[in-house]
Amino acid sequence: MSMFDALFGSKKNASAAQARDRLSIMLAHERAQNSFPFMEAMRNDIIEVIRKYTTVENVHIKSEKNQNIDILEIEIVLGK
Amino acid sequence: MGTVITVTSGKGGVGKSTSLANIAVALADLGKKVIAIDFDIGLRNLDMILGLENRIVYDVIDVMEGNCNLSQAVIQDKHSKNLYFLPASQSKDKTILDKAKVNSLIETLRTQYDIIMLDSPAGIEGGFEHAIAFADRALIISTPDVSSVRDADRVIGIIDAKSLKAQQGEEVQKEVIINRLKPDMVERGDMLSTDDVLKILALPLIGVVPEDEKVISSTNTGQPVVRDPKALSGQAYRHIARRILGEEVEFMILKGKKSLLKRLFS
Repeated sequence: MSMFDALFGSKKNASAAQARDRLSIMLAHERAQNSFPFMEAMRNDIIEVIRKYTTVENVHIKSEKNQNIDILEIEIVLGK
Repeated sequence: MGTVITVTSGKGGVGKSTSLANIAVALADLGKKVIAIDFDIGLRNLDMILGLENRIVYDVIDVMEGNCNLSQAVIQDKHSKNLYFLPASQSKDKTILDKAKVNSLIETLRTQYDIIMLDSPAGIEGGFEHAIAFADRALIISTPDVSSVRDADRVIGIIDAKSLKAQQGEEVQKEVIINRLKPDMVERGDMLSTDDVLKILALPLIGVVPEDEKVISSTNTGQPVVRDPKALSGQAYRHIARRILGEEVEFMILKGKKSLLKRLFS
């Protein structure tokens, strides 16, 4: 750190670091959604198919990304 | 066969058209036969940046709708015999674009030009999708601020999903241009650095363009800044053009101007 910085503390509330953190968190979340753009349509189709056989309350789809594979976990909540 | 390069960003106002104009001029100066096409239907701008607004008779929609021949609509640049321009329509809106017609126009242009540069509209709707559908290569422009980087990231995802190349199992070559960087602010820790942006977007860099008032004054006169041999931003654009053609050009080191006080104490 230069003497100037030491004296006047020009880096004391550097905002770039905050931008970095906020962006990384936001994008990690958004990328997971963006990589399966068909999710909502597929979910509706699944509900449609299950309704042919039984009652269905809800369908949750969770996506997970690993280095080599993408996983979709589908949980079907049946009605009573 | 010509290469199709789309310049895109997601967010508006980050310098897409300005960058495209400057890179197109620089590529033409390097001896490539280049055509710049404005795909921002209804919000035409590339014409003024290139200083060719008074020469427009027909536009890209006229060509696609068959109202004129391609050669009637294409405008040759005033200064460069290698540079051509096809303006956007100002009276229509972007819903008029038709995928098959865009495809056939681009296929024709591929046989006539070395490089076809498409200026994508901001946003991720119809016009943007047409501009990336047939791209071989995409230059993604981002300024070092959170909204721009976030939108760039979204656009990168869409290019991967929606381009014809991606659908055929190939990949569109994607590179980042960081525009309007202020070295002073980066040094103070108040602006995302080049490394920060690249780490987030996870794509290779093809150029960093510093904030430069000359960009505005050159747009005022319709003379792309790349023709100003003294402008730092112009030099950055010339370097980008050479990198596009595969040359290895070292990245400029952008340093902030230290204040007198700061210089005294360091």
